[in-house]
Amino acid sequence: MTGEDPGPLVRLFGLTGGRARPLGESFDLVAIVTTVSTSFPPSDLIPEHLAVLSVCRRPTPVADVAAHLKLPLNITRVILGDLRREGLVTIDRPQPAAQAIDERIYREVLHGLRRL
Amino acid sequence: MDYAASEPGVAEVTPAMALKILIAGGFGVGKTTMVGTISEIRPLHTEELLSERGVGVDDTSGVELKTTTTVALDFGRITIREGLWLYLFGTPGQDRFWFMWDELAVGALGAVVLADTRRLQECFPAVDYFEQRGLPFVVAVNCFDGARRHDPVKVRRALGLDGVAPIVLCDVRNRESVKDVLATLVTYAVGGPFNDPLPPTPTPSHSHASPT
Repeated sequence: MTGEDPGPLVRLFGLTGGRARPLGESFDLVAIVTTVSTSFPPSDLIPEHLAVLSVCRRPTPVADVAAHLKLPLNITRVILGDLRREGLVTIDRPQPAAQAIDERIYREVLHGLRRL
Repeated sequence: MDYAASEPGVAEVTPAMALKILIAGGFGVGKTTMVGTISEIRPLHTEELLSERGVGVDDTSGVELKTTTTVALDFGRITIREGLWLYLFGTPGQDRFWFMWDELAVGALGAVVLADTRRLQECFPAVDYFEQRGLPFVVAVNCFDGARRHDPVKVRRALGLDGVAPIVLCDVRNRESVKDVLATLVTYAVGGPFNDPLPPTPTPSHSHASPT
């Protein structure tokens, strides 16, 4: 918890081959990740990759994927970038909120909040 | 028997969408508590790993982050319905992590700036930041147990707010209170009753340039 121990960091970067940035187009913390259905996912996937494919059968925001994996966000993003490159997941760019929030969504959000 | 508006399959076609709300404010003001009060999940604590390359920050102290470090990021979730989520991100308190705010703020619906009137100055940086970015925000004055009730007008004056951003009193431990804060923000962000009658600058608002 002190941040002094380099061990976990070394392990985490091992998951990404030392990379700190995902391949390809950048994506947001709440971009929606969806597993592409394939009958035969590659057999050489590491457990973290398989976990992502399992979680994202239901469209799941990046931040939630990180939470499921218990991994830092940018490590998660490298993993997601790899899976996208392999064509195993799609990552949708979220619309800017100002455009995404139309009247209907706004009402839904307000009603949703009141229901809590 | 007009079912025109509810064709079968329409709900499935609606793309999944996640909206971001930032919770900012000084250290210890109650950001994590607020997220925990309203989140349907225990606030998820994730640590962002920063490498040298990841640190593109103007650090006025001149201290460069040469080593890998982590910054904690707490977030919570509210499911409005399947495929529509509200995410609350507690912003990192330290100034050297401003660049993370930049990322969090992109596309965000808005922000809640939590204020403690005993240490009001601690929320100035957040207020400045969101004003500069043009991100809608509300100031939520956290009324701790025993703390005196504060007059929002005085808080507004102390913060030098231009009279646009709503100021609400709240108790971050109280669910109804947090709901009120978020509802106020959502209403304000979509141009509700708090809409600013004066447009800031006549910049073209129809640019659909995709983010880099």
